Formats: sequence, C-alpha cells, structure tokens
Amino acid sequence: MNCQEIKNLMDAYLDGELDPIASQRVEQHLRDCPKCEQAYEVETAMAHAISQAAPYYKAPPELRERIQVSLREAIGMPASRAATADDSFPVRRPEAVRRGVSFDMPWNWLALAAAVILAAIVASSFLPRLRQPGADQFLATQLIGSHVRSLMANHLTDVASSDQHTVKPWLDVKLDFAAPVVDLSGEGFPLIGGRLDYLDNHSVAALVYQRRKHFINLFIWPTTPADSKARETVTREGYNLLHWTEGDFTYWAVSDVNVSDLQNFKRSFEQQIPPH
Amino acid sequence: MAATLEAEYVFGAEDLESRAKVVKFAVFQRHEEQGAAQEHELASFEAMMLPHLDAAHNLARWLMRNEQDAQDVVQEAYLRAFKSFSGFHGSNGRGWLLTIVRNTSYTLLKKNRAADLTTTFDEEIHASGRESVSPAAMLEHAEDAELLKNAMNELAAEFREILTLRHQEELSYHEIGEILKIPTGTVMSRLARARAKLREYLAGRMSQEK
Repeated sequence: MNCQEIKNLMDAYLDGELDPIASQRVEQHLRDCPKCEQAYEVETAMAHAISQAAPYYKAPPELRERIQVSLREAIGMPASRAATADDSFPVRRPEAVRRGVSFDMPWNWLALAAAVILAAIVASSFLPRLRQPGADQFLATQLIGSHVRSLMANHLTDVASSDQHTVKPWLDVKLDFAAPVVDLSGEGFPLIGGRLDYLDNHSVAALVYQRRKHFINLFIWPTTPADSKARETVTREGYNLLHWTEGDFTYWAVSDVNVSDLQNFKRSFEQQIPPH
Repeated sequence: MAATLEAEYVFGAEDLESRAKVVKFAVFQRHEEQGAAQEHELASFEAMMLPHLDAAHNLARWLMRNEQDAQDVVQEAYLRAFKSFSGFHGSNGRGWLLTIVRNTSYTLLKKNRAADLTTTFDEEIHASGRESVSPAAMLEHAEDAELLKNAMNELAAEFREILTLRHQEELSYHEIGEILKIPTGTVMSRLARARAKLREYLAGRMSQEK
C-alpha cells in the first residue's frame, strides 16, 4: 500500500470499520512510514478530542417536562399528571363531555392495572419456557434491563476497583463459579468494577468496563447446553448485545457503544484470559 | 351518527329516550377505551424514547447552534415521533428518533437561514495558517475545548452532525448511514472531509491566536 491509499483508508481504520485484512495492511504501513504514522496520530488526537473535550449538550430537566406535557396535550390528556399544575393549556374536550367524565381517573387506572396484570401474565407464561424459542428475546430484554438499571440506580458496581485481583476474589466468594476477570485499560476498556447480578433464575457475574463515556456490562455465567444457540449479536432499543461462549462460560456484553467497539472488546478480552 | 349524538349530549338534555341513551353510552365508552389505548401507547413511547433525550438534544444543539432552537426542535421531534410511533417496528429506537430530530432541525434551519446548509468557508480566516502549524502543535491544542467548540461550530451542518454522531454517539458507519440516508461509503468520505475541514479550521484559529 502506498501513502495515498493509506490516506484514503485512514478514517475507516480509525473508526474500526475496516475488515481485518485491510486493517492489518494499514497497521503494517503505519509501522514503516513515520509520515503517515504522524498523520494518524493527529487524526486520533482529534477524534479523541471531539469525544472528550467538545461539549456534549445534555437535555435540561425542564425540556423533559415540556415534552411530556406537550405529548399529553396531543392526546387530550390532563397535563397536570405529567409535570405541571399550570392550567393554561387549551382543553380540547367539549365542556359537557368533560363534566361527564368525573370517572376519568378510575377508568385510566383500571386500564393501567389491566396493562400491569397483562404484563405479569405474559411474563409468567414466559418464565417456565426460558430455554425455548423466544427465550433469546426474553434474555436480551433482561440483559438490557439489568444494564439500564445498573446505570440509573447508581448501582453500577458492588466492588469498585480497576484491579482485577480485587474484583475476582470478591466475585469468587459470592458465586459458585470462578469467573475470569481481566483489566483491559491497555486496550481502551478500563475495568471499573464488578457486580453480583441475578438473571435467568441464577446468579451471574457482571463486570463493568468503560469505553470513553460509555459503560459496558459483561455478564458471565457457566454455559448450559441451551446457551450456545443464542444469536451472536442483538441490537435492541439502541443497545447492542454481543454474545459468545469460551471455555466453560457464556458471555454477554451489553452497551450502547457500537457493534465494532464491542467486537474489539470481545477480542481484547479473549486475548487476556489465560488459556485453558 | 356518533357526531350528532355527541352534539345532543353536549347540549345536556337529561330526559332522552332510553335507546339514544344506550347508543350514547356506547359512544362515550368508546371514547374512554380510545383514551386508555392512547395512554398505553404514550407510556410505551416514553419508555422507549425518553432515554434518548440527551442524544436528541445534543444533536439538535449542534445542528441549530443555539439552545432555544434546539429545545423547540426536540419538542417538535418528539411530537412527530409519537404521531408515527405506531408505524415504528424497528429495534433501533435511538436511530429512529435521531432521524426525526435531524429532519426537524433541517426544516427549521431551512426556514431560518438557507445559507447555513451549504459549506460556508471564509478563505481569509483559514487560508493563512494552514501550512504553518505543525502536527505537534496540533496535538497540543486539540484538547482545548473552547477552540475545538468554535472550530466545530464553523463547520457546515452536514459535517457537524456526522462528527457528533460518530464521536459523541459513537455510532457505526451503518447506523450513521441509516440516519443520514446515505450509503456507508459516503459516510466514510464525508467523515474524512469533515475531519479535514476541522483540522483546517483548528489550524486557522491556532495561527490567529499566535
């Protein structure tokens, strides 16, 4: 490859979007060519700067309220339940109908209760069939749920440490299996800590890694015969799930980072665990 | 028929024939059921889409370049999204929402100032220091948040959005292509151009500061 070809591929290489063979050839060239290597360094620094130093504009809380109010307004539902006691919103229902719906609330609550009961029935009918078709979907839902809860409830880790020699013994005591724990700081996935989680009716290890501003939950449990049938990648609700089986264990990585980052993560992880 | 019955009801006549009462109750009850269904839909919409509010706001903020417009865009986008939510059967809620945020942003951008959509480039500011800044100096300044923000804000909208989608949302080329409605190859070349322009602008601003 000459320098011009490298220049054309550099962006895709930087973004982890090249196939392994092309990646290898770019790497080879970068090792041999100081000029391209320097150009790549600048590119990397800039990419890093955009993700780290450029402002990420989080939504202010009042915007969420505004949206919830306007959505309720759109379906003619009292806005007060969303966020505000402000009564200045136009009421769309005719006055007389409004007078008649004093049992508006109970009806809605009944509907809500019905929805909850229905959800419970659906869930309970799924539970005994966990190992049958549809179980993958259900497992994915559980995994995403656990990932989201770990981020929301300020309960990311039970044991917060970037030291694998602290995290591993802690988990070993709590679980009836010895999950492999490795730190991947060198590969851009620093270990944040470990957590005990409960999935699919048994205790599992959850390792938490960071990828720039994002977190990856890696769930680990001893493989059962049904596990290996699951699909390798699942994308749902903006989350990516990557699944693999290695040695005696089943792994599920869950995060909002993109699939290629997750695959890099998997590769790094596999390279670091001691061979069986 | 429902409309006339409703109209009667609105006038509040109490002593109606029982047949009419029955029909009216049916109409009334259907209203309630529709209401419950809508609320149920709203609940699942919010559960699926509100977690992506920050991503929506961030994209709108970079596109509109001011907070007030960004908030208006996001609110409008959520309303639009809710209206077409029943037609959404995909798995990538974030991508779907960001597509709508982007479209809404462009509608407002076009209305406000058509000029913003094309690449605006002031040769005078940027031509000067292009060659004189060394890669080492570039590396040193790359983390200067203020400088970087200003340089990014100078970019055309199509470059601002692709940089934020790639580096802040960390989306893959495929996901970006779906949002921008362009092929993956175009994502790659547009990103390359966006980065080249940003490098140029950074170099221009750095040489001005000297």
